[in-house]
This record gives sequence, structure tokens and C-alpha cells, in this order.
Amino acid sequence: MRIFSQSRNAMGTVFAIHLYAESEAQALSFFEVAFEEVERLEETLSKFRPSSEICRINRLAASQLVTTDPEVFSLIEQSLFYSEQTAGAFDITVGPLMRTWGFFRAEGHFPDAQELKAARERTGFEKVLLNRGARTISFAIPGMELDLGAIGKGYAVDCAVEILREASLSAALVVAGSSTVYALGTPPEEDGWKIHVPDPLDRTRKISTVRLRDQAISTSGNYEQFFELDGRRYCHVMDPRTGMPVEGVLQTTLIGSDGAMTDAVSNALFVLGTDGEKLLSNFEQVGVLSVLTDSREQRILKWNWPDAAVERNEIINFEPSYGRAQAS
Amino acid sequence: MNRREFIGCAAGAVGGALLLGESERLFAAPSDQINLGIIGVGSRGQQLMRTFLRVPGVRFAGLCDVYEPRFAAGRKITGENTPIYHDHREILNARDIDALIVSTPLSFHADHITAVLESGHHVYGEKSMALTVDGCNRIRETVKRSGKHYQVGLQYHYAPWYREVLKHIQAGKLGKITQVYAYWHRNNSWRRPVPAGADEKLARLINWRLYKEYSGGLVAELGSHHINFANEVFGGMPESVIGSGGVDYWKDGRETDDNVQVTYRYPSGQTLFFSAITTNRLDGDQIRVYGTDGSAVLTEADATIYYEPKRPESAVQQETIVQHGIVTGATYRSELPYRGVGEKVPVPADKMGSPDYLACASFINSLRANKRPEADEDKAWNEGIAVCFGNQAIAQGQRLTLDEHPAKAAAA
Repeated sequence: MRIFSQSRNAMGTVFAIHLYAESEAQALSFFEVAFEEVERLEETLSKFRPSSEICRINRLAASQLVTTDPEVFSLIEQSLFYSEQTAGAFDITVGPLMRTWGFFRAEGHFPDAQELKAARERTGFEKVLLNRGARTISFAIPGMELDLGAIGKGYAVDCAVEILREASLSAALVVAGSSTVYALGTPPEEDGWKIHVPDPLDRTRKISTVRLRDQAISTSGNYEQFFELDGRRYCHVMDPRTGMPVEGVLQTTLIGSDGAMTDAVSNALFVLGTDGEKLLSNFEQVGVLSVLTDSREQRILKWNWPDAAVERNEIINFEPSYGRAQAS
Repeated sequence: MNRREFIGCAAGAVGGALLLGESERLFAAPSDQINLGIIGVGSRGQQLMRTFLRVPGVRFAGLCDVYEPRFAAGRKITGENTPIYHDHREILNARDIDALIVSTPLSFHADHITAVLESGHHVYGEKSMALTVDGCNRIRETVKRSGKHYQVGLQYHYAPWYREVLKHIQAGKLGKITQVYAYWHRNNSWRRPVPAGADEKLARLINWRLYKEYSGGLVAELGSHHINFANEVFGGMPESVIGSGGVDYWKDGRETDDNVQVTYRYPSGQTLFFSAITTNRLDGDQIRVYGTDGSAVLTEADATIYYEPKRPESAVQQETIVQHGIVTGATYRSELPYRGVGEKVPVPADKMGSPDYLACASFINSLRANKRPEADEDKAWNEGIAVCFGNQAIAQGQRLTLDEHPAKAAAA
């Protein structure tokens, strides 16, 4: 058994798969079906592809009940469930707020009170109306939109893992842009896949190392995307409850049973900051490691975290050996 | 009156155009529910199931396959305990099924689709039409005789940007169309993993696209879409074809070529060139339509038009050149590829949608309104025959004339 890696552009980031196979030919066949599955989900869930199912729902759901298939319906239903469980900190209707802040144009814009009010009226998970029996979705008011960006990559990781499992693959890491990783099985002779959690202020250093087996891990941080406005730095994560970018949190990492959950809930915990701890009992078998900050100091929130010794400033030696990225 | 006839009548009164767009104007009353069965729950079949389930009032009432794990996959998609069948003849006798999807390997299309039609069901049959000329003839003949609906799974026929480009072409905006160059270039092996413990027969069935016993290879699986489009542009089917191809890179025991190039000639001197390769994806899946006044580039997501430089209205006045003379100078490069931007073909918002969804919704509407599908047996036959001849031309290394073929003459 040898380890093979391949990465491809998908869902606005790079998906990478590292897996053990008997031969290169066998590895290629695994990559083929796993990446095909990721592409299927991007074609279904992308808000940037007009032909996607999410765009169809967004175009029609303000004026009619839109029927969708059980998979998409369940993912939306699950998203709304996470909204309830996180007191609205996770919200797939946050698009109008993001747009008002200029997040989609990669430039900041501080909205005035009226703009913010208008955007907040068009935001809110409770305004998405579902009928499970008929599998229909509708919006309570016009101008709403669904954006599965904070759960879709994690879900795609889960689906790719499922496809690999069905193909009798026993050991793989499936990675969505490093923010969500699923560890399938273990490398031969190992008790888990080793995952480092970086120091958000110096990502060449780690604050923790965990070994995962048949578990997902997601990290949300404010170092990937942010903008500066009037000398102040705003991160790209929006608090759906206030309509303002999140402040005071540097990074949250969550371990759990599946990538959709860890993706969604790590984003919610990032929004919730210190308040997040109260909601953790809503989720079974999760572990959390958050780095919070205020004007004076950083502080680590650790909850059910498997790594007893959370060390600071140890240099990460692991360099992901991605295969060649495809042109796209 | 049986259930299917009742649905035909009831929905016929409602009416509605076939190419409805994605707006769900025909709401499904409970009595208006369409029950589908599917034969062949592989990767394409599963995607069709998901897509059909986005159309209001559609339910799956039967799953048929020969490979046990497909049933769990299918039931996961329907979200219910859908009845299963191990033999296609059994699902034909199932009660309460209005229409069947056939998404089996290509070599089974002829038997499965004709059996569905003979049993009195409508059918959505995956492309290409059939593996052989005889199979294509049998399906077309059975559709005509049975009077049942047959829609072929050429979903790009329903792509809104394809329809818009065809309108441009028909309005003469691109001038006379002389060539269509179509590419489907990938960089992967096309081989799917085989679960541990699978025997040789199952391994070949899972990778049926790679074996000639089942598959027409890249021409059938990918080229069929482009051939159908060229047939629409040129208003009919080609009259001759030459081709080449080989297993030149993925020498892993496969039989179907890992790269093919086929050139079809149409009766009025027009050409379709189709290339599929599996070792480079720079060009992806695209169709380039060349006309004397402009070009159109169609992809899986959109279409763009590039207009040619305007031709002078009349010849330059002779006296101008004679009186003023012309300037001499170094040769300049005048034939670099065009690198400017084109005009994106606009698609009206109410016509936008995914080709798969629009194809599936259109099929369901054709059942409810009892109207013939757009991508019908004639379009499928024109595509399917061209695929068969393209593959024969590659295999024989000869130019083949479709008109002279007895099967075509008999069926035309």
C-alpha cells in the first residue's frame, strides 16, 4: 500500500484527497469517483452557477413553493436545525448582509443604517418555509437567498468519503481547502491521521495535534479573508444576529462525527465566541478548541478536546504534498 | 381507462407548452402524481433520479438493477422504501408505474427500451440511442408503432443557452454556418473503482464504458451531445464520416479508445469535427460554431458570440487605389487567434435552468399534457446512427457514407 495525493479546484477552494491504494491505477479510480462527487455537489449547491439547484430555488422560492429532491431538502432542513441549535449564529440566509458589506466584491463597504436594516429584513433562517411531506421550500419575503457556503464544503467532504467507503477504500484524508478534513480509517500501522491545529497568529506553528479516525475536523479563522476599512480590520464572517462582522475570535476548531456538522458548527462557534460554550451540550461527541482575543490578551477555550497538552508555538513540520492542481 | 390514460386526459385539459422553463406552472394535484420506475441505478441513473424528484408531483415507484448495492443508493435518493426489482421484465409488470427511465449500459438500451415501450409505458432513455444501427432502428420503429412517448437523454437539447444560440443562427446573425468544431477534453482515466471481492464480470459491468461489448466509448458517451447539436445547426444528419482513435495512453486493458477524432460531412458541404481526449483538459467540453459573420462558443454553463470583422459593403473604389496608390511595408501578422472578449448570450431569467432539470421537467410535462417530447425518437435516431457510423469509421479506418447504408435507406 502506498499513499497517493491529488487536488482539484472546487467550490471556490482546493479539494485534496490523500489515500492509500495498491497501485497508481487504483488510486486514480478512487480520485475519479470522489472528485466527480464533489463536482456533482458543486453543480447542485453553488450559488455562483446559475444552473445549480440552489440558484433555481433562489430564483423561484419568493414567488412559489419550490419542490426539490430529498438530498437538497434534507441539507436545507439540517442547516435550519443548526440555526436553531446555535441560536441563529449559523444562518444560510446571510447572503443579503454579505452583499451589503461588499463581501462578494472582495472590497469593504460600511453600510449605513438604512442599508443594514433592509438587508436584515431579507435575512433570517426562520423566514425559510419548509414542507417536508411535499419537499417544498419557499421564502417568507422577496429578496432572500440561500447560501450553503458554510456547510456545503463539509457536506461534499462527507459525500466523497461515503463514495470512497462504498468503493472499499479503508484509509483516506479528504480535505476541503484545509477548513474541513475527514479522516477515513487510519494509515497502516497508525492509530489515526495526524492533524495539526495552527496558531492563528503564526500558522507555521501549532497549538495542538490530534489523531483522528473516522471523524471530521473543521476550522474557522479570520486570517483567510478579511478587509480593512478606515484602519480597522474586519473578518469575512458575519454575525447573522447583528448584521456585523465578527470580532474577538481568531480561530475555532471543532471535531465531530461528520463534515457538514463540523463545518456548520465551527462557523457558528466562531460567531458566538465565548457564548459558544453554553451551546456545546447541544451537540454529541464534539471537541472544541477556540482562540479568542480581546484588546489585551488571547485566551484558549478548550472543551472536550482530545489533546491533553495544548502546546503553543511548536513548529509544524508537516507539509501537505498535493499532486498537481488541474487547470480550470 | 387505466391510470396512465387518465393522467394523459386530465393533464391534457390543463395544457401547457413543452419547453416550460423551470417555473412550476403545472402544479401537481395528488391525482396528477407521476410514478416513475428506473432500470439502471448507476451514477447517471442516480443523478436522473435526483433531478426528476425536483419536478413537482414525481415519485419513484420502482428501482431495477442487477447489482445489489444500487438499491440502497437508490433508496437513499428517494428517501423511502422504494420497491426493488432484479430483472427488468419484473418492473414492467409493476402496478402504478407511469413511465420508466432506462439508464443501463448502452448495449442494453435497445432491448430495455423496446421492452418498456411494448409493455405500454412511456420511456426516458439515456443517450446514445443504441449501440448498433439495428438497435437504433428497433427503438425508433417501436416508438412509432406503440405510440408511446420516448425522450432521449440529450439534456443539452434543453439548455436555454443552446436554444438562444440556435435562434441567433436561424436568424442569420452568424451568417452561413460552415463548420462546427466540438471538443470534450478531459484529463482522467474514466475508470471507476471496483469494490473488493467483485468478480471479473461485475468489474467489467462497473466499468462498462471501457469495453466494446457494452459501450460505444467516447463518441457515444460524450460526442452524442455535440452530434445532436450539429444536427440541429445543419438541419439533419451527416452523410459521411471519417475517424481515428486508439488506446494510446491508458493501456490498462480497456477496449474503447482513450482518444477519438471524427469528422462528419453534412449534405450541403458543412462539417462537424469532434475530438475527445483523456490526457489534457485545457479545452474542456465546448462547441465552437463557425459562421461567415460570427462564431458561437457553447459550454456546459453558457454561450458566447464573437462577430467577424464587417465585410465591406462594396468593393473599394477602383479609382482610389489607382489615383492615390498604396503603401508598401513589412509583412504584419494578421492571423493571430482572436483574443478579445465576446458577447455573452443572454438567457431570460424565466428560461434559465440546468439542462438536466429542464429535460426532466419537459419529459414529465409531456406525460401530463400527452404531447410528444422535443428530443424524440427521430432526433435520437439521427444522433444514434451518426455515433454508430463514427465508431465504425474509426474501427475500419475508412470513410463511410451513411446514405449508402442499407439500414438507413430502409428506415429513412
